[in-house]
Amino acid sequence: MPVRVVDASSPSQVLGTTSGNNLPPPCTLLSVGQAFSGTQNVSSLQKDEAWRVNVRIQGCDLDHGYLCGTMEALNVPMADTPVITFWEGEIVDTKNYTFFTGKWGATTEDDIKHWTKFASFSPLQSQVEADGGKSLDLSNYPHIFMRWKEQYFVNVGTDCGLTIAGFYYVCFSCSDGSISGYYYDPNSSPFQKLELKTTNEGRFGYSFSTYELQ
Amino acid sequence: MPTSSASNHSSHPEDLIGRLNSAHTPYEVKLKALRDLKNQIIGNRTKKLAFLKLGAVNSVVSILSSAVVAGGWENREFYELVLVQCAAIIGSFACGLEEGVNAVLDAGAFPLLLNLITHINDKVADAGARSLKLIYQSKRAPEYDFLQEKNMEFLLSLLNSKNENVSGLGANIITHSCQTTLEQNTLSEAGVIERLVGLLRGSLIQRDASLESLASMIYGNPEVASKFLSPENGRALSVVVELIKDKQPRTRMLACMCLIYLRNASTSYLQDSEIKNKLVMILLELLDDPGQVGDEAPFVLSSLISQKEDMQKIAYDADVVDKLCENLNIFSFQPTRLQGTFLALADLCSKLECCRDRVIHLKVFKFVTEALAHDNPHVRSAACYFLRNVSRSVKNLSAGQFMNEAVAAPLVQLLFDSNESVQIAALGAISNVVVDFTAHKSLFMQFGGVKQLVQLSKSMESAIRINAVWALKNLAFLVNNKCKEEILLELTISTLSSLISDPEASVQEQALALVRNLVDGTLNSIDYVFGENGLLLHAIGKQLWSTSKVEVLIQGMYTLSNVASGNELHKEAVMDQLFPKTINDKETVLVMFMQSADSRLRTAAVWALVNLTFPSSPGACGRVTKLQNAGIVCQLKNIVNDPCLDVKLRARTALGQLIMFGDAS
Repeated sequence: MPVRVVDASSPSQVLGTTSGNNLPPPCTLLSVGQAFSGTQNVSSLQKDEAWRVNVRIQGCDLDHGYLCGTMEALNVPMADTPVITFWEGEIVDTKNYTFFTGKWGATTEDDIKHWTKFASFSPLQSQVEADGGKSLDLSNYPHIFMRWKEQYFVNVGTDCGLTIAGFYYVCFSCSDGSISGYYYDPNSSPFQKLELKTTNEGRFGYSFSTYELQ
Repeated sequence: MPTSSASNHSSHPEDLIGRLNSAHTPYEVKLKALRDLKNQIIGNRTKKLAFLKLGAVNSVVSILSSAVVAGGWENREFYELVLVQCAAIIGSFACGLEEGVNAVLDAGAFPLLLNLITHINDKVADAGARSLKLIYQSKRAPEYDFLQEKNMEFLLSLLNSKNENVSGLGANIITHSCQTTLEQNTLSEAGVIERLVGLLRGSLIQRDASLESLASMIYGNPEVASKFLSPENGRALSVVVELIKDKQPRTRMLACMCLIYLRNASTSYLQDSEIKNKLVMILLELLDDPGQVGDEAPFVLSSLISQKEDMQKIAYDADVVDKLCENLNIFSFQPTRLQGTFLALADLCSKLECCRDRVIHLKVFKFVTEALAHDNPHVRSAACYFLRNVSRSVKNLSAGQFMNEAVAAPLVQLLFDSNESVQIAALGAISNVVVDFTAHKSLFMQFGGVKQLVQLSKSMESAIRINAVWALKNLAFLVNNKCKEEILLELTISTLSSLISDPEASVQEQALALVRNLVDGTLNSIDYVFGENGLLLHAIGKQLWSTSKVEVLIQGMYTLSNVASGNELHKEAVMDQLFPKTINDKETVLVMFMQSADSRLRTAAVWALVNLTFPSSPGACGRVTKLQNAGIVCQLKNIVNDPCLDVKLRARTALGQLIMFGDAS
């Protein structure tokens, strides 16, 4: 989700590969087409504020630890319409990506400071501090840790007065599909909390759509 | 004014052919006419075509045939001159002109030329070999049967010849006709590799012919590759490695091809970064060649990088993408070059997002639009492969890069193509392009895409049916109800239900996944499966009870699971399919699916259970009783510690919901 511009630094470029959803997702609740809704707390010292947020998963490539989708911020004060951004995610699988970001202006200390905000991270903390968590096998861990980085605005121009310079530390719960995250941008308010829940769009249960790239 | 008296005969094509055909023309005059004909057609495509129309090839072959006989009796030297001229003319007609090759073969020149090779006069043998070599450049040349002992002996005699054109011809025959593993092995066992390695040290003609035929023997054959590298062939590999630096561009390219086939045949050869970089750099340079080498270089590059992400990255870093895109501009009028360039770009974009970003940045779509409408079907197919691979980028699909007039509209036109391979290639690209995450899917319908996809879903050719339904499935992903209705209106419920029961399992799978997407989204979209007395629902149920193909079952179960996420009516309808009245209440496919070895099927089955027992639905209690009677609780308890996390978590949710409605012990 975009935040107000404070500093005009451009987003980092990521070289990633996608091959759609040809491999099964780590968890069906995180598969392509799944939708989530909730809020992002953008409070500052001046005032309490939360923006409504919708997220949709569009691509998942486990081989490359890759996930992507869109994020829609609904009641952005400066925008006439909901603002949609496209983000790409790094899944911390200790093969493609570790808990240490190593870019986007985040130091190891920043990483630990953010990851420790998630209760489900505590059993992993000592190992992560020792070796970045390289020796951990997270394939059956009921939480999936990710970094989501917004790449571009889908429906507004870059001159909209908003920035996507930062990125999110994200923790996804495989049990109930809830997502919590913290936005990190040295130039924005710290620890803006993102809270999302899986949506069933008026249904009495869960529905799963599919596509396959050739 | 005095004129030259060298010739008192007209060189007008009709007159010339007349002289060649006339029984009254003395042979001396015919020889002169042959020379005249040869000089007129060499390198002149227009002249060749004009003489072809006049039946020149038949005339020359007829003279060749009679000269062979006549030369055996008298005036041998004269007739040998005639033979040399005839062979040269036939070769010239076959050179770079498919119509010429056809005429030469139809006139029966091939066996006559083959006989010339063993001629006592080396000049005649040489002329025959040169001519045959030109014929062997065409795909239309007759296949040589290496498996016949007599043929193999003849081939070895050619390779042993001291005449460079004759030994070169031997190698050309191998390049042309060696296609199967059996042929590769037979040639290898007959000692052909040793002879070809010997030719590597010969003249330019022998070297190039040898490199090309070695490549065709090594291609996809680890056994022959290791024989080539065996000590008995001495330093053969280092000779080829040296030749990639040769001053002749064609030699460099063929040596690269040879090395690429060697490294593709087995992962243990030529994998060091030095040779990888060298191959990329040499091919990059050869892409600039304005002639045949430049036409073939993109294909060789393609064989180097295809399926190999590490090689694609090296090529990307060496700016190969930029060079290929630049060549689309420079050589846009050469079909072979265009085809090769699009194929190489397709390979580069098959896995790496950076390559896809680069081609989009370099604005290649204007060339793609032209290529999709090209006269040559190979160019059209190659452009489709390129589009298919470049549109594997979710990031660019999400940015709506492909659903526009320049890409989607010409792609839809190719669905009407008369060439089936082009249709299949277009379907591959369309399947990806229609995933489009923006709200532009309706554009595809405006271009007439749905109508034609539906037509192709009824094709007799199963590959076309699979791809057409696949594209419809992707189009139906996250699409609004208006578009869904348009798809269903065109497709009809009865056709869709026949596709679910198609003889091909892959078509069944795609058709079920299409229904899965149609019933996803708003609650009322579930009603689509209830049309025409629930025809679709019955077809799905029937397939679940009859097939053993796990991919089909997974899609079928997700479809039912999506229906079961609806209201009471929807959930009960799913129960009817899982517990048909004709079958004992205690038996259900669900149990079998929960015991499947495939975790994806177990997951899908448990999701259906989660939805059927969803707590806020009023009829859940009745369904729970039925499920308990069928032994579902017991099955769920077996998988609450499933090795697959997803299965384990869903099973726990389902069990929890079942317990809520009563004693689940």
